[in-house]
Amino acid sequence: MKFIENIGKFIIKLFSSFGKFILFILFFFKYLFKPKFYLKNNLSFFVNVFISSIPIIALTGIFSGMVLALQSYTGFSRFSAESAIPNIVVLTLTRELGPVLTGLMISARVGSSIAAEIATMRVTEQIDALKTLNTNYYNYLVTPRVISLTLALPIFVTLVDFIGVMGGYIVSVHRLGFNDNLYLLNTIDFLSLGDYLSGIFKAFAFGFIISIVSCYCGLFSDKGAFGVGSATTNAVVISSVLILSSNYFLTELFF
Amino acid sequence: MKIEIKNLKKKFNDNFVLKDISLTIEKNKSTIILGESGCGKSVLIKTIYKLFEFDSGSILYDGKSEVDIDKFSMLFQYGALFDSLKISENIAFTDFINNKTNFERKVLSLMNDVGLNKSIFDRYPSELSGGMKKRAALARALYKNPKVIFLDEPTTGLDPINSDKINDLILEVITKRKITAVSITHDIKSAIKTGDNYYFINDGIIQDKGDCKKILKTKNKIFKSFIIGAKY
Ligand SMILES: Nc1ncnc2c1ncn2[C@@H]1O[C@H](COP(=O)(O)OP(=O)(O)O)[C@@H](O)[C@H]1O
Ligand SMILES: [Mg+2]
Repeated sequence: MKFIENIGKFIIKLFSSFGKFILFILFFFKYLFKPKFYLKNNLSFFVNVFISSIPIIALTGIFSGMVLALQSYTGFSRFSAESAIPNIVVLTLTRELGPVLTGLMISARVGSSIAAEIATMRVTEQIDALKTLNTNYYNYLVTPRVISLTLALPIFVTLVDFIGVMGGYIVSVHRLGFNDNLYLLNTIDFLSLGDYLSGIFKAFAFGFIISIVSCYCGLFSDKGAFGVGSATTNAVVISSVLILSSNYFLTELFF
Repeated sequence: MKIEIKNLKKKFNDNFVLKDISLTIEKNKSTIILGESGCGKSVLIKTIYKLFEFDSGSILYDGKSEVDIDKFSMLFQYGALFDSLKISENIAFTDFINNKTNFERKVLSLMNDVGLNKSIFDRYPSELSGGMKKRAALARALYKNPKVIFLDEPTTGLDPINSDKINDLILEVITKRKITAVSITHDIKSAIKTGDNYYFINDGIIQDKGDCKKILKTKNKIFKSFIIGAKY
């Protein structure tokens, strides 16, 4: 009996959290259109995110591109279709791997730190303090983070796409013996704007998901040091799962 | 401002924190709330501040149930200073984030009032000791000239000498500025020193109340054992 009761409790909690999350998003939009813009705040957050993320973005891009070239060679050489490698690399990167890997890396790098920061503010009563100082936390904390990350992710994805193609180029030319001009030509020829834009559209969506989920997890964390830890974990796990699942539906959209 | 609380009830899920609280906060007096850790003191003052909603009962502010909470101010238990902002930016927070610039003189005079050296004007909270953080947080609370100030355990976590200093400071500030004060403490010495009236909360209700100067003469058994436990 206790077991069934616990399952029931869990399900109720799940639904009420989901409802709270939807309400949170609605409030976000309400305050987005009733803005009180703290410019200094927005700008410094954007710059911070940018500087702290560039190294991992570069690493993600270069190694994905390199491994992609190597792996597709293994497969395609069996049909003597090696010439398709530049196309495969650029297509896979722009349409799929660029946005998804960037999303996952940024949720680990930035999402976790947003959740930890806001959860710490919750635990140390800084969120309450904001209210006593006549400041709305949507305007002060949520909006700058969501806007910054939603705008930053397409830039990151563009970087990953570009660096990834370079990685594929390096491996193809120096390891697999491709002609360097031909490789670049094939890459550029084959890539359509639509491919790139479908990835950028995903990037906007993932940036929004990461930031809104992380803010939510931070703001509604449990009390104590334990609360900060679980807020951080939840932020990364939930945004990663949402990225992977929404990725399928976004792909269907552009199919 | 006079605040009257009648039969206030507040719970979180199955946790009945405030079961039946009635008390009166007199205008320009210092009211002390006493009670064991976890008995709901912080929840009570945050409910009065309208940071929490309550389940039943009533709170009247000068006879009305509506109030502009901008007349209130709070000193949080650990200061709740914003880590990413300088001390001066913390103290003038609202002006600072709204891009007003001429707050320097007001901040300096407040820092002087609460006994902070002006050398920490550009420091960050993490560089300050516990006592200095409390002072900075008090300066931030005073910045908007509140009518009512809520102080959540202002001396907890400080050594006896610093506690004494903070108590003197609070007393000076609230009498000089004619502010209504509501303080939480479990330090009897602080209560006697800084308070006019006290309320003792136990198990969600007011167990005892009276004049702070007569705390030690209380007849209430539970409050007596609390006083002994608090090692006065
Ligand atoms: N935001 C909250 N959500 C759920 N429970 C809370 C919340 N704030 C306080 N409580 C609970 O209310 C009770 C009283 O807490 P509190 O008022 O902080 O005690 P104290 O008297 O030490 O200030 C505790 O059991 C605490 O767990
Ligand atoms: Mg408390």
